[in-house]
Amino acid sequence: MQVKGSKEIRAGVLDSGLCTGCGACVSLCPYYATHKGKTVMHFSCTREEGRCHAHCPRAEVNLDRISSQFFGEEYSASPFGSYINIHSARAGDKAGVSGFQTAGTVSALIKFALEKGYIDSAVLTKNEEGFGVPFVIDNPGDVEKASGSRYSVSPTVKGVNDAINSGRRKIGAVGTPCQTLAVAQLRGNPLKQEGFTDPIALSIGLFCTWALTASDFTALMKSMGDISTIRKLDIPPPPASSMEIETGNKSYIIPLDDIRKLIPEACSYCHDMTAEFADISVGVYEGKTKQNIAIIRTERGRKIFEEAVNAGYLETEKIPEEAIAPLAAASMNKKKKGLGKLAGANLINSETGHTVIRMKKSTLESILKGGASCC
Amino acid sequence: MIDPFNIIITGVGGQGNVLAARMLGNTLAKAGYYVTIGETFGASQRGGSVMSHLRISKESAWSPQIPKGKAHLIIALEPVESLRVLAAYGNRDVKIVSNTRPIYPVGVICGDLAYPSLPDLNSAVAQLCDDARFINATEEAVALGHPILSNVIMVGAAAGLGLLPIDDEAFKSVISENVPESKIEINMKAYRKGKEMVGDPVKF
Amino acid sequence: MLLSKSEGKEFLLMGNQAIARGALEAGVSVAAGYPGTPSSEIIENLASVAPEADLYVEWSVNEKVSLEVAAAGSFAGLRSLCVMKQNGVNVASDFLLHLVLSGTRGGMVLIPCDDPGAISSVNEGESRYFARLMEIPLLEPGDFQEAKDMTKWAFSLSEELGNVVMLRSVTRLSHASGNVKLGALNRTKPAAKFNFSGNLLDAKTGPVITAPVPFRHTQQQGKLKKAAALFETSPFNRYEGPENPELLIITSSACYLYSREALRVLDTEKRAGILKLGTTWPLPPELLKKHLAAAEKVLIVEEVLPFLEENIKILAMENIDSIGKIKFFGKNDGTLPSVNEMNPDYVIKAISSILNIPYTGMPEEYEKSGQILSFTKSPNRELTFCPGCPHRASYWSINRALTLNGENGFVCGDIGCYTMAILPAGFGTIKTAHSMGSGTGVASGFGKLKSFGMNQPVVSVCGDSTFFHAGMPALVNAVHNNSDMLLVILDNSGTAMTGFQPHPGIPSGAAGNELPSVDIEGICRSIGAKTFTADPFNVAETEKKVLEIIENERGPRVLIMRQGCALSPEKKGKKKYNVSVDSNICKGSDCGCNRLCTRVFRCPGLVCDSATGKAMIDEIICAGCGVCADICPSGAIKRSEVAL
Repeated sequence: MQVKGSKEIRAGVLDSGLCTGCGACVSLCPYYATHKGKTVMHFSCTREEGRCHAHCPRAEVNLDRISSQFFGEEYSASPFGSYINIHSARAGDKAGVSGFQTAGTVSALIKFALEKGYIDSAVLTKNEEGFGVPFVIDNPGDVEKASGSRYSVSPTVKGVNDAINSGRRKIGAVGTPCQTLAVAQLRGNPLKQEGFTDPIALSIGLFCTWALTASDFTALMKSMGDISTIRKLDIPPPPASSMEIETGNKSYIIPLDDIRKLIPEACSYCHDMTAEFADISVGVYEGKTKQNIAIIRTERGRKIFEEAVNAGYLETEKIPEEAIAPLAAASMNKKKKGLGKLAGANLINSETGHTVIRMKKSTLESILKGGASCC
Repeated sequence: MIDPFNIIITGVGGQGNVLAARMLGNTLAKAGYYVTIGETFGASQRGGSVMSHLRISKESAWSPQIPKGKAHLIIALEPVESLRVLAAYGNRDVKIVSNTRPIYPVGVICGDLAYPSLPDLNSAVAQLCDDARFINATEEAVALGHPILSNVIMVGAAAGLGLLPIDDEAFKSVISENVPESKIEINMKAYRKGKEMVGDPVKF
Repeated sequence: MLLSKSEGKEFLLMGNQAIARGALEAGVSVAAGYPGTPSSEIIENLASVAPEADLYVEWSVNEKVSLEVAAAGSFAGLRSLCVMKQNGVNVASDFLLHLVLSGTRGGMVLIPCDDPGAISSVNEGESRYFARLMEIPLLEPGDFQEAKDMTKWAFSLSEELGNVVMLRSVTRLSHASGNVKLGALNRTKPAAKFNFSGNLLDAKTGPVITAPVPFRHTQQQGKLKKAAALFETSPFNRYEGPENPELLIITSSACYLYSREALRVLDTEKRAGILKLGTTWPLPPELLKKHLAAAEKVLIVEEVLPFLEENIKILAMENIDSIGKIKFFGKNDGTLPSVNEMNPDYVIKAISSILNIPYTGMPEEYEKSGQILSFTKSPNRELTFCPGCPHRASYWSINRALTLNGENGFVCGDIGCYTMAILPAGFGTIKTAHSMGSGTGVASGFGKLKSFGMNQPVVSVCGDSTFFHAGMPALVNAVHNNSDMLLVILDNSGTAMTGFQPHPGIPSGAAGNELPSVDIEGICRSIGAKTFTADPFNVAETEKKVLEIIENERGPRVLIMRQGCALSPEKKGKKKYNVSVDSNICKGSDCGCNRLCTRVFRCPGLVCDSATGKAMIDEIICAGCGVCADICPSGAIKRSEVAL
C-alpha cells in the first residue's frame, strides 16, 4: 500500500470533489478541520507520508488487502461483500430504546455492547444546529443522545480519532460505508506506529445510498422554520418519492428530485452501499418501517449480535430470500456505478496520479460487466 | 590611506549597526575627513539585513553607495553577513573583521534553512578574501557587562587593523558625546579590547 | 546639534537632520507631516526640540491635512514646513492643486522624500512630476550640506515668490550622512495673524482663495517665470569640468554624487563635465542653453523616471538653432534603467560605454564564486513579524476562519507592518495590497459584486493609524452602499511601521505632549457599521468570532483586534508569560504536528532543534506573549504568568 501525504489529499481528494467529509483526517493533526460538514485544510503540511492519506477512504484503498485482513478472503464481486448471515432485526424490549423513526437495532446493539463491556465507549453522531457532529459516549444511557436519520454528511470518524486521542481502546464506532471504510483502514496501523493496538472493538456500518451536502441541506431546512422544532424527517419507501419534514406546527413534503440536487459529487463515486468492512451492517428493510436488515460479517459481530438477541436487546426474524433481492440489486447497481465512474476517471489501479481504489482487475471487470439493475 | 577609503558595516537589525557607523564616521570627521555614510535599514526591525557604507576622503564627499567590488574594509557584526557583502562589494584585497556570534534568520530558526558552521564559513570567506579575522566580540561584550558593547569592540578591532587614521582620543571624544559620563570608560575598554583582539595591524 | 549655536562648526549629519537644521536656521514655526520612510526623522527631529525652539510640530492624520495645517501657518505669516514620503504627495495633491493657485504668505516648503528602489516602500513613485503638474518650483539638494542650505533658502524663495516650494529628497540623502557646516540659527518667535480684509485680489491682505481662477493662474505662472530667472544664477546649479566636454552629464540629487564618482573612477574628469542642477523645475533656460551648446553628447542621470531628460529635451528642441544637434543618453534610449535607484555602477557603465573606456568592477570569476558561496552559505533573511507581534496572531485567526468557512474568502490589505501578510510571516493571507486605506475601499467594491455571482467572503485589514489616514472614508462608503464586507482593524496603538509615531487614537502628540484621543470603536459605531472587538492573543476566541461574523452577519461590519505593538514602550522588554516546551510531549516533525509552531507559525522566538525537529523557546528573543501555547496541538508549549 502506498502512503502519501496531505499534498496528495488536497489535490487528489479535497480539491477534486472526492472528499466524503467522513472526518477520517480530522483530529489526527492540526492541519485538517471540519466545519458544517465540510473538511478543509489549514496551511500546508509537508510530510510525504501521513495518516490522513493512509486512513482516507478516497486515497489508495486496497479492497483486497482490507478484505483479506478482516475476512480472510479477497474482495469479491458479490452484492454485500463478505458476510456470515443476514437477519431482520429490531430493538427488543430489554433495550429500552425509543428511536422515533427507526427500528432501533443500532442503538440496541451499542447499548448492549456497552453494558456488557464489549466496548467501553462509542462514537455516535448527533444533530447540532442542523449539522451532524460526532460525539463519544461511555455510558449506555447516552445512546439516545444520538438522533435518527439525518441524511447529511457528517465527520463521524473525527469522533473515532477523538476517542483514540483520549486514550480509549475499546471503541464502538457507528458510521456510513465511507466512514466504516476509513475506520477499517485506521485499524490496520498503516504507518506502522510502535505500540499500536486496534482501538475498535465493534464497528457497526449503516446502509447508505447517498448523503446530502450538509450546509445546503441545513439551509433548506432552515428555510422551513426553526430547525430545533423538527419532529420528523423521513424518506418513506417507494413508490413515494419525497422527503417528509414535520416542524413545530407545519409539515412539508419535498420532492426527492429536489433533494437529490443536494447530493455531493463525492457520493456519485461511492461503490459501497452496505458498509462492507463493518462487523455488522444495519439498514432499512424496505417496506417494513419497524424492521432493519442486519448483515453479520465477522465472528465478533456474530457473537455480540447473538448475545444481544438472547438477552432480549434485539428481536430477529429469518429473512426470506426474496426480501433481500431488491437490496442486493441496489447494492450491485451502486457498485457498478461508483466503480464505473472511478474507472472512467482513471481513479482505479492508476499507475500515475491519484488512485482511489486498488483491486484485482478481474473482480473489477466482473462487477462492471455484471447485469445492471435500474436505479 | 587609500582615498576614498570604503568601509561596509553589516549586520542585522538591533545590533547597533547604525550606531557603529556613526561612531566610526564621527571619529574620522573629527579628524578632518569628509565622511559619507549610506544606510540601508528599511527592514531592520523585521529581521532583515542592515548595511552601512562609509566613504572616507581627504578630498571631498563621495556617494553614499560603494561601487561593486570596491570595498576596502568590511566590518561584519554578524558572520554570514560578511559573505553576503563580499559577494557584492568584495575583492581579494578587502580586509574583513567579523564577529563570530550568529544571529539566525527566521528560516534557520524554523528549521527550513541551514546556517553554516564557523569553519565552513571561514573557508568560504577565505575563497573570496585573503585577510579575514574572526573575533568573538559578543562573548567579550557580555564579559564586559552588556552584549551591545560588541559593536564598540568591532569598531576597536577595525581601528586595530591600522588601515584608518583613527585617533584613540578622537574616538573617546565621540563616545563622550554619545554616552553618559559613567559609561565612557566601559566603552573605551571595549574599544581597546577590540584593538587587542584583532591582532597585528595589516602589513602593506 | 539641532539647536547648536556653533555657527561654522562641522558635524556629520544625516540628511533628514540636515533638513531639520536648515528649517531651524530659516526660523520655521510650524511643521506638520505624516510618518513615512524615509521622511519621518525630519518631523521627529523638529518635534524633539519643539518646546525649546518655540515650534508647533504635529503628526497630522494624513498628508493632505498636514499640508493644510502647514498652509495655515503660512497664511498667518509664519514659516511652515510639511513633510511626507513620495506617495504622500498623491494624497496631498488635491489641496496642493488649490494651494498653488491661492499662493502662500509666510515661507512654505513641502518636502517629499522619495524612495527610489522602494527600499522601504511598496511603490517607487516620483514626486517631482507634481512640481511640474502643479507649476511650483522644485529644488533637489545634491549633498548633505545642500540639504541644509537649500532647505533654509527654500523658505525665503517661497516668500519671494509667494508660493509653496517643493524640496525633494531621496532615501540616499535622507537616510545617509555627510559633513555639514552649520549656519546661524533663527530663533525669533514671530506673531501669527491671518489678514483677510484687504482687496479680493491682494495676495498679502485679501482672502486666500483660488478665484478668479484665470487671474490667479496667470499670477502663478508669473511666479514660476520669476523662479526660472532666479535659478539662472543660483549657486546650487553649477558646472564642473572642461569648457567643451566630450560628454556633458546633467544630473541632480544623489545622482550628482554617483556621477562625480563615476567620472573619478574612470579618470575621465578632463573629458566629461557635470552640470549639477539644484533647481530642477522650472529649468533655468539660459544656463541650460549655454552648457548644451558646448556639448554634443549629453547624458542625463536621475532617479527614477526621465523627468529632467524630458524637460531638457523640450528645451533643446525649442532652442535647436542656438544649441545645435545633440545626442542624448539617458533613460529613454535605455542607457540607464528607468526603474530602481541609481548607483555609481550604473553611471560608470553608462559613461564607459559612451566614451568607450574599459572598466571592471568585479572580475567575472570572483563575482561568480561570490554569488555561489553567498547563495549556499548565507541563509536568506526573510522579513517577519517581531516576536510577540499581535499581527501574527491576528492573521492566524483570520486565515483559519476563512479556511473553515471554505468559500474562498480573502483579505484586502494596505500599508503598514501588517502588509507583510503577503509573505509567509502572515501565512500569505493578504491577496490585494495597495495604498493607505485602499484595502477597505477595494473590499467595499468587492462586497457589491454579489449580483454578478461573487459569493466569496470579503475581508479587509487596516491598521489604526491607517484607519484614521484613509480607512474612514472607505468605511463610510461601505456602510452607505451597504457593502457586504468585514473590516478588521489591527489596532496596535501606534504607527508601528515607521517608528511608533502617535496618531489621533493616541493621547499624545509628536513632542510627547498630552492630547485628547479619538475612539476608533466609537467612530465605527457612529458610521453605522456593526462593530465587534477581539483580543488577537486569544486565538481560539478570535477565530470563532471572525468565523461567526463572516457566516452569520451581513453588510458592513467592523472587527477591532486590539493588542499593542510588541515594540511599544509599554510592552518592549516586558514579558507577560514565561514560555517553555515540554520536549516529551512535543511531536516535532512527526505525523500529527509536523512542526506547526516552528514551520507555520514561525515566531522567531520558537527555535527548531535540528537534531530532533522539536521546538524550543529562545528565552532572549521570546517576547512572552504566550500565543504559541494556544496554537500547539499537543499542549507541549507551556506558559506561566510572570510574577510582577
